[in-house]
Amino acid sequence: MIHLKNINLTLPSFALKDINLHIQKNDFFSIIGPTGSGKSLLLEGIMGLIPFSSGNLILEKKDITTLAVEKRNIAIVYQDFALFPHLNVSQNIFYGVPYHKIPKQTAQKKFDSLVSTLGLEKITKRFPTNLSGGEKQRVALARSLIINPNVLLLDEPFSALDPVFHEEAKLFLKKIHEELGITIIMVSHNFSDVLYLANKGAVIKNGSVMQKGEIISIFEHPNSKFTAAFVGMKNIHPICIQNGKLAIKNNNIRIITSHKPSKTDNTMGIRPEEISLIASSSSYTVKNRFHGKIKSITSNGIFLLVHLQTQNFQFEAIWPRSYLRDHNLDIGKIVTFGFHAESVHTF
Amino acid sequence: MLIETIKDKDVVNAIARSISLSFSAGILAFLMGTPLAYLLARKNIIGKKIIEGIIDLPIMIPHPVVGIAILSLAGRNHPIGRFLSDVGIQIMGTRTGILCVLLFVGLPFYVNTVKAGFESVPVRLENASRTLGAGAFTTFMRITFPLTWRHMILGIIMCTARAISEFGAVVIVAYHPMTAPVMIYERFTAYGLKYSQPIAVWLIIISFIMFVILRMLSKSIKQ
Repeated sequence: MIHLKNINLTLPSFALKDINLHIQKNDFFSIIGPTGSGKSLLLEGIMGLIPFSSGNLILEKKDITTLAVEKRNIAIVYQDFALFPHLNVSQNIFYGVPYHKIPKQTAQKKFDSLVSTLGLEKITKRFPTNLSGGEKQRVALARSLIINPNVLLLDEPFSALDPVFHEEAKLFLKKIHEELGITIIMVSHNFSDVLYLANKGAVIKNGSVMQKGEIISIFEHPNSKFTAAFVGMKNIHPICIQNGKLAIKNNNIRIITSHKPSKTDNTMGIRPEEISLIASSSSYTVKNRFHGKIKSITSNGIFLLVHLQTQNFQFEAIWPRSYLRDHNLDIGKIVTFGFHAESVHTF
Repeated sequence: MLIETIKDKDVVNAIARSISLSFSAGILAFLMGTPLAYLLARKNIIGKKIIEGIIDLPIMIPHPVVGIAILSLAGRNHPIGRFLSDVGIQIMGTRTGILCVLLFVGLPFYVNTVKAGFESVPVRLENASRTLGAGAFTTFMRITFPLTWRHMILGIIMCTARAISEFGAVVIVAYHPMTAPVMIYERFTAYGLKYSQPIAVWLIIISFIMFVILRMLSKSIKQ
């Protein structure tokens, strides 16, 4: 569908380096990375606003590397929505229709269907200044979708939304993708959103792709320290492997894994929510068990970040507040905790 | 005296000449200054600061110097002057010359006002328009122009208002045909305050009306 072949883009202060991505029709593809990693620059390149220094951009078997922005039929919903302030909602939505040879009746039908799907019926005569963040985003979506774009780009779609609209927008995007079967490329720095919406993606750092593939695979099997930290993994530590067994470097703590670590693996990571308390009577399905004390409890927003010390080593766990209340846990308390062999990731 | 003055054909002609040439300078500033202001607001061209400096120059330097500079450029000794003469354009002592001076002193006001207008339109709006299929020119006409036309009107009025008040450069390039400020100066030096005063009053009234319009427009921009 859309193929980025050996893409390089060099600017005076930044460069995208050798990007190769293949996005299939109907994919919800996410480009993930921290601020300043080059995600938005890559989007601008795909749109044609900034020419690539080298490489090819193929859309449905056609090379569009040098095609003008307006001829690509690649629409974008910006993070600030970029609605035209002098046009009302319906004028905004109809904006691109004259350039796509869409018959008037077809456009009207599509307009009615989008307005109904996105719940915009009551606001079609309003101007953008009188809309909420969520409404603005839905108008921007309708404006892009009415022209049947080959690809829809979403630039940080949730960053300008209040938490209430954030959840609502996620549901709308999921619904639109499922109902219209459109190819979407979304740029995001929030892995939780990506995990919910996207099926495939690429993690980008300093202009280079660090890892790409199925989102669930990136989530479960990050291939680097950077990706591991980015997908919310904690307990990232250097390891040594002796006789196929894994131990935390400079420590006597042995870790049991469900897979045989590769010779090149030198780091491990465990998701903090996968570390749990173990009742003494429980079965031995949890292979990694430790006895230690609660060193500290700090707030992590809704959840609590708990440091568990065993020997001279600390594990980080994230538990709900109710979990600590129910088990009567506090700093200094001695507990048995552990995690499954499957929870240990090495890279 | 005021009524008598306005019945004087020379006075009416001078004021009409001042206003019509100043307004023409405003329109020319719109035609020439709009692309220039857009370029300066949107593109990172080499030597941008130098171009901006040159545009602001007429605000800084004494206006007789502007007149002398224009005369030097338009003289027989300069290639530009020779070219203009060859194509039949006379600068010295003509309406063209006055227009040239008025445009030169008024252009910075137009360009700076409209440039600020273009800068207030997020580039993302233009980008979004283009991804929806509109070309660069259509995008300008459907997005950028509707959001900046008030700045353009304000720019034209500021340029025109500035041009009406111009004396120093005009008097050097074209003493005749006479503009209102030159006539005020001439009547003052030849006949004294009594004869120059009514023309000055008429010019003030007209300038005042123009500035009231300007205030009203700038208010509507803020809204």
